[in-house]
Amino acid sequence: MNEEKRPGGLTALAVINFIFSGWGLIGLIGLAALFAFIGKIPTDDMQEAQKAQIVAFQNMGLPVFIIIFLLSILSSVLLLLSGIGYLKQKKFLGRTIGNLYGVISIISSVVSGILFSSDLGGGFNIMTMVGLIYPVLTLILLNTTFKEDLTN
Amino acid sequence: MNLKTINIAHIHLISLYWSRFAVRSGSGLVYLMIALVFGLSVAHIIIMPVEQFMALQKKQMGQANPQLVKKTITDIGQPIIQFVLGIKSLEQIAKEAALPQFPLPNDTSNTTQSGNNTPGFDPWTNFLLDKKPALLSSIFLILIFGMPFVISFLAFNQISGDVQNHGLRYLLLRTERCNIFFGRFIGTVLFSTVVMAIIVATITFYLGMKTRIYPATDLAVWAVQGFLALAILMVPYISVCSLISASVNSPFLSLILAKVAIAGVLLIAILGSFAWKPAKYLLYALPWGWQNNLLHPATSHWVIAVFASLAYTAFFLTLGYIRFETRDL
Repeated sequence: MNEEKRPGGLTALAVINFIFSGWGLIGLIGLAALFAFIGKIPTDDMQEAQKAQIVAFQNMGLPVFIIIFLLSILSSVLLLLSGIGYLKQKKFLGRTIGNLYGVISIISSVVSGILFSSDLGGGFNIMTMVGLIYPVLTLILLNTTFKEDLTN
Repeated sequence: MNLKTINIAHIHLISLYWSRFAVRSGSGLVYLMIALVFGLSVAHIIIMPVEQFMALQKKQMGQANPQLVKKTITDIGQPIIQFVLGIKSLEQIAKEAALPQFPLPNDTSNTTQSGNNTPGFDPWTNFLLDKKPALLSSIFLILIFGMPFVISFLAFNQISGDVQNHGLRYLLLRTERCNIFFGRFIGTVLFSTVVMAIIVATITFYLGMKTRIYPATDLAVWAVQGFLALAILMVPYISVCSLISASVNSPFLSLILAKVAIAGVLLIAILGSFAWKPAKYLLYALPWGWQNNLLHPATSHWVIAVFASLAYTAFFLTLGYIRFETRDL
């Protein structure tokens, strides 16, 4: 076992995974609650932009919501599992699941961009790139810097 | 001081290894994440309203009007930039006319006016808003203010961690202290410069491809200047971290002290100046007082700012090196 030789960067990566996973799960609860109550939100006193967001969300439809929801759940669970894998320096749980998270998360960002209307922040914007930073970094680091550290 | 033992090959090797090791050790990874998220979030905050305005124009007029967009950005940005550059105080800005709002997209009365007609422009604001792509200028000004707070996440652990775990003793069998100190400093600067390049390139690429309100050449030239300003600005702050890291044994304490030193100087100067005006000169203890001059239109101003950066760096590095060379490891 070479756990005691675990580089600080891998520990940092695991901690970031746990934080993002937690945020993701909390966000999912919020998303589900929003979808459940979206029809009951009064829009009369809202500004035009806010009203457009609510209407866009109402028009999104159940299938799109389910796709986004499942992809987000998958990303959060993979983040959590790969975080544990990084800490234990496991080849499958760390490297394989971490790589899977990177790919799923990139697909999730692209699908969200396509399925969400521009009123909901869909399309290609600079926040799409912010969302892509971590999965891309994960893919690069797991296959270069930390490649030899996830071998257990 | 024993600078006779400086070995360029050793410094080269240590700096390259250190810039690669930064990610592996965690500090570089955390810095990379924070810097990228901060830089792109700043860009998002600045660019998003413009994109929304252009989308509204397209919806109401069938197409976006770049001249009107530029004029609106200039009108809204002018008082903010003048305040940031210290040209006008908040009171002066408040006394002037109420801030102009985004004009209605179907109001074309302003489209024929150029930004040069805007009254009350000083040369510096005019340069940043009219002569150069205003959106990129605004992003650079925020990054110049914000990045010094972020840089300590990268530079705090140049020496202190290895002093704490006695790892330096093994390294000192193979090279001298000066090579370790300057090699790690240069490695940190290299890493910071690469991160700045990634941030600026991403933002400029996005601005060029998505908004299309500025000519590509203007964007590219200003992006290079802004990148150089940011890269140079980070060097004295990294040297402050080198000094602190060489002086204490604990990496955590080094991080806290670096944060307190960099933010504290700014905070004490601003708060102190409310009670005692000359306290504002404390800003010059670090580059806070003149760092915006790196984006000044006059060559003399930005050249002096560059030399000032180098002078601050030399000062802090010398102090750090003396401390590192003479301390017990």
